[in-house]
Amino acid sequence: MNLYQPQLATVTAVVDETVDTRTFRLEFKDESFAGAFSFRAGQFGEFSVFGAGESTFCIASPPTRRGYIECTVKSAGKVTAELREINVGDTIGFRGPYGNWFPVDEWTGKDLVIVAGGIGLAPVRCVIWNVLDRRAEFGKVTIVYGARSVGDLVYKRELEEWAARDDVTLVTTVDPGGETPDWTGKVGFVTPVVEQASPSAENAVAVLCGPPIVVKMTLPVLGTLGFAPDAVFTTLENRMKCGVGKCGRCNIGPVYVCKDGPVFTAAQLDALPAEF
Amino acid sequence: MSEALFLSNDALRDLVAGLVAAGTAVIGPAPAGGPSIPGLEERQPPTAKGIYGALEYREVRDADELALGPGMPRLSLKQFFLPQSETLFSWKQRGADVEIRETPIAFNPRVVLGAKPCDAAALEIVDGVMDWEYRDELWNGRREATTIFALACAVEDDHCFCPSVGAAPDTVKGADGLLTPITGGFLVQATTAKGEAFLAANRARFAAPPAGGADEARAYREAALARIGENAQIDAARVRDWIEHHFEDPFWATLGVRCNGCGACTMVCPTCHCFDIVDEEEGVGCGTRRRCWDTCQAGKFTLHASGHNPRADQIARYRQRINHKFAVYPLKFGEVLCTGCGRCVRTCQMGQNIGEILVAIDEYAQRTGESGDASAATGPAAGAAP
Repeated sequence: MNLYQPQLATVTAVVDETVDTRTFRLEFKDESFAGAFSFRAGQFGEFSVFGAGESTFCIASPPTRRGYIECTVKSAGKVTAELREINVGDTIGFRGPYGNWFPVDEWTGKDLVIVAGGIGLAPVRCVIWNVLDRRAEFGKVTIVYGARSVGDLVYKRELEEWAARDDVTLVTTVDPGGETPDWTGKVGFVTPVVEQASPSAENAVAVLCGPPIVVKMTLPVLGTLGFAPDAVFTTLENRMKCGVGKCGRCNIGPVYVCKDGPVFTAAQLDALPAEF
Repeated sequence: MSEALFLSNDALRDLVAGLVAAGTAVIGPAPAGGPSIPGLEERQPPTAKGIYGALEYREVRDADELALGPGMPRLSLKQFFLPQSETLFSWKQRGADVEIRETPIAFNPRVVLGAKPCDAAALEIVDGVMDWEYRDELWNGRREATTIFALACAVEDDHCFCPSVGAAPDTVKGADGLLTPITGGFLVQATTAKGEAFLAANRARFAAPPAGGADEARAYREAALARIGENAQIDAARVRDWIEHHFEDPFWATLGVRCNGCGACTMVCPTCHCFDIVDEEEGVGCGTRRRCWDTCQAGKFTLHASGHNPRADQIARYRQRINHKFAVYPLKFGEVLCTGCGRCVRTCQMGQNIGEILVAIDEYAQRTGESGDASAATGPAAGAAP
């Protein structure tokens, strides 16, 4: 078989996160592949619906949970529209894992500040569970998560679970106008909420993921809070086809997001041409 | 390089017939088949060697179909290694299950007789990305199954600039041997073990070179070298240096506005290898996943699902093409992603001339004697008028 041929996986669970976002749990059909499969937090895959094609999604479940992978998908195009029709028991394709990863192992003993906006929580959810599954190895964990509205918050049950834990500080926010009468979180954009939360940068790393505007606005705030550019990590998701450095579309100047990324530090982003 | 042998025109007929009979596909430049293009001759004045595009690489059954002389096939050899569209696998829905039929990655033996040296060189350049950590089995399978004899080139026209990108009209890069036209046939030399094995397996077709044959071949190649010396010449390292340090420069806008984004340059390019992967349904619940040529000059190439596009205009997209070929690829894979074949120049309806663009960059970099100072952003004179 050639490297563009996917592994077949059975959908074993589907969770509707919002009106347009779903989480799929996949189990590989080939037992030897499933047994040998491993990945690191932050890696991605090419997921396919046969007849619609392939799309690139990060693996949203942590490597510490074996036997399955999950991805969270927002309806936006052809493949994601077809994914709306996929149900438990259906078959989809997966190629991966591809790309680099968050250096979670290098963060042991440090505090973690995790900032996400909207669907950007998916790639960092992988980091969050990875860290929480190895909780004793890390310092304080602070999560700031914002979405346009209460209805747009993903992983709601997990947000409740994190809020209930005394070893996680969770701050949730929705954009002004996106709150509901019973909303108890903050109201405001992610960036000022991070500023207010003012997490300490001492012996800490920050992980940031969200729409380009959230990343763009929050990077300087993290800098002001004292996070060095090489202590701020983010993940980029350029359009990809092959995922393995061949198809030629995801490069930002000399950097191929699929092979050299998708995880970059703020210091690495600073060195790239402004074309992402 | 192996000792030179002689392949007479008659022996070439026997060679091709023997190969075809033995099941080896023979590919070479031949008069383009299919319907003629109305008005081609008026639109595209014949070059010294004939009409560009009058030839194409194709599989031949008979040596008499081959056109082993002047003339540049309209498409490069790329299509035989990265087909314009190819099946990656087929699938069939069976209830909730899916059955996959693999595409074979073993290929029947093929020999290319008369590859343009620039087209053979392109294959070796593209090997770099196709082997980058993940090995593309389809590309490599075809590469391994194919023995390539390049035909020493007499230079097509004013748009050739192979020496500027590290090649020459008689380069054997990417090829297993070289054919040089001499009276009554060709002087043949193998340059790889694969080429030597081919000569050994077909030894009966080859003879000792005629007296004076080697001199004739040398004169042919020297004439080509002299001729190519009249064409555009650049210092690729200096150009790369300038491009690396001038991502933001008004020069790119002067190029981008003259590009209509048709992508023809990328289709005819022997080194452009970007592709799309798409599903084609061939009935209810069955179909194929295909890899198809794609072009960085199309807006949708980089369009995100969110609507955001990192290369939102033609200026960014044209810059990407030049940047990828002359700065990014050398940085990643050690070679310029261009063989100087000139096809993009001959094909562009907007008159973009890559040779002139590179000369403009080179002259500018040379004149200002700087490379790293992006603030001196007046840019090269975009004198690359058609």
